[in-house]
Amino acid sequence: MRKVKKGIVYVLFAIPVVTQLYPLLWLLLYSLKTNEEIMGGSFFALPKELQWHNYKDAYESGSYLKYLSNSVIVTGITMICVILLSSMVAYAISRFRWRYGNMVMTIFLMGMMIPMQATLLPLMVIFKNVDILNTHLSLILPYIAFSTPISVFILSGFMKSIPAEIEESAFIDGASIYRIFRSIILPVSVPPMMTVCILTFITIWNEYILAATFISSERLKTLPFGVYTFVSQYSVNYGAIGAFLVMGALPVILIYFFLSNQITKGMVAGAVKG
Amino acid sequence: MKVLKVPARTIAVFVLPCLLLYVCLVFVPILVSFGTSLLNWDGITTPKFTGLSNFRDMFWNDPVFWPSVRRTLLYAVASMLEIPLCLLFAILLSRYLKKGNTLASIYFTPVILSVVIIGQLWKTIYNPTSMGGMLNGVLIALGLDSWTHNWLTEPKIAMYSLYFVSLWQYFGYHLLIQYTGVQNIPDEIYEAAKIDGAEGFKADRYITMPLIVPIFKISIVLAFIGSLQAFDLVMVMTAGGPAHATDVISTHMYNSSFLSLKYGYGSAIATFLVLLCLTCTAIINSIFNKLERKYS
Repeated sequence: MRKVKKGIVYVLFAIPVVTQLYPLLWLLLYSLKTNEEIMGGSFFALPKELQWHNYKDAYESGSYLKYLSNSVIVTGITMICVILLSSMVAYAISRFRWRYGNMVMTIFLMGMMIPMQATLLPLMVIFKNVDILNTHLSLILPYIAFSTPISVFILSGFMKSIPAEIEESAFIDGASIYRIFRSIILPVSVPPMMTVCILTFITIWNEYILAATFISSERLKTLPFGVYTFVSQYSVNYGAIGAFLVMGALPVILIYFFLSNQITKGMVAGAVKG
Repeated sequence: MKVLKVPARTIAVFVLPCLLLYVCLVFVPILVSFGTSLLNWDGITTPKFTGLSNFRDMFWNDPVFWPSVRRTLLYAVASMLEIPLCLLFAILLSRYLKKGNTLASIYFTPVILSVVIIGQLWKTIYNPTSMGGMLNGVLIALGLDSWTHNWLTEPKIAMYSLYFVSLWQYFGYHLLIQYTGVQNIPDEIYEAAKIDGAEGFKADRYITMPLIVPIFKISIVLAFIGSLQAFDLVMVMTAGGPAHATDVISTHMYNSSFLSLKYGYGSAIATFLVLLCLTCTAIINSIFNKLERKYS
């Protein structure tokens, strides 16, 4: 009886493995088929011959590397700024003796409930007026702004738990507040910073709508927007479309493969603390 | 512990860069949006002040608005209904497997992918068989030919096809949140309960359930708020079509602002969305606070 029950549970566990992974695997197979094989509609068949040239076609007709490097630039700059700016604010909130600390925290917390898309139109009008529409800056600025609340929250939660004695003795030894922040607080706060990095990376790397609204030049597009453009414009070869999708997913999948534990922990921590 | 007394200038150096950026890019736009909602403006000609007439049109004269609100709320409800299933899986995972983590991170894979990839992948899956769609292929192979549909172009079905993709993508996310919650319940409690004769589902009912309420609440809030803001997946897959059949609040806002160039009207919808999100968060929080008090 026990064994039967265990068997049933294992079958139950297997179902989501199939439903969550098979579509991704199917996409991989799809990207290696000819048009005829795809239209033939045999959804589980392996390609007769692996059509690697689909990847070559996709690579040559889209600007994959351009999109990729744009995404790296935008996400990288955003992550650095988020870490730096939000750890400064978090430090001020958790340690300084000043009247408005809680108020600042509340302002940040309120922002977590505001839907990003409600700011699309006003931001576009503002950016048009200061003439930064269709630049990477028009993405990086709102990305930083929308990533800070959760980061400030996570970092200040951690910094409150750092024992104050370290800072006091450093203070007595004559270290300035900037020195303390740079040489004590920042190095100690690496673990929560990793969480912030992961959350910011996943959100910003995958962001599509802001990019699609604010960017129009082909050479400035980030990866998700680039993939979208490619798929909607290139319609001759289904396999190549599949190949471009796989290439679009590849960076994040690779990172997830090596860091899945850190990523899942970081995302759950972000959710639970938020 | 607030230990450091620092001059105001230092505080400003630490706080102002981030705070100013944040206020200018989140709060100011929202206020601008409130202001724009009172105008009749196409973004090019001089705006005309029309008071609350945009809101009047939205509530009484727009045939797309209320259905899109209904779809958004249904979206929210559908994604909340998924969470008990996630909790069940989380409990089973932690009971039957020593290393449930690996399985949980496999379930989690779709969460890390961009909506563009997810959307295009499912568009391909939903395609008619003549274009290589997988779902209809599976149905035909199972002999269920009559169940095949044009999943994204039949107005009656399209919205449900979208709900499904969303549930599919976030299954692993909520499962992992619940799983972490279950893992964090100390083993001693279960051991003590075992001595008192509570095991298996009895232990789940009287130990796991009450202790998981705070985590459960987080999942519910995330799912609810996330679906109210549901946007990019719909944009990528159908952009609100066919004939507004899959419009949710956000896509209606986007299409009104950027396609019909009714900036004022779009802003009115955005204002409604912001207020809806704030109200719903407040309501859910107060409900769960009551629940928690009841159980503790």
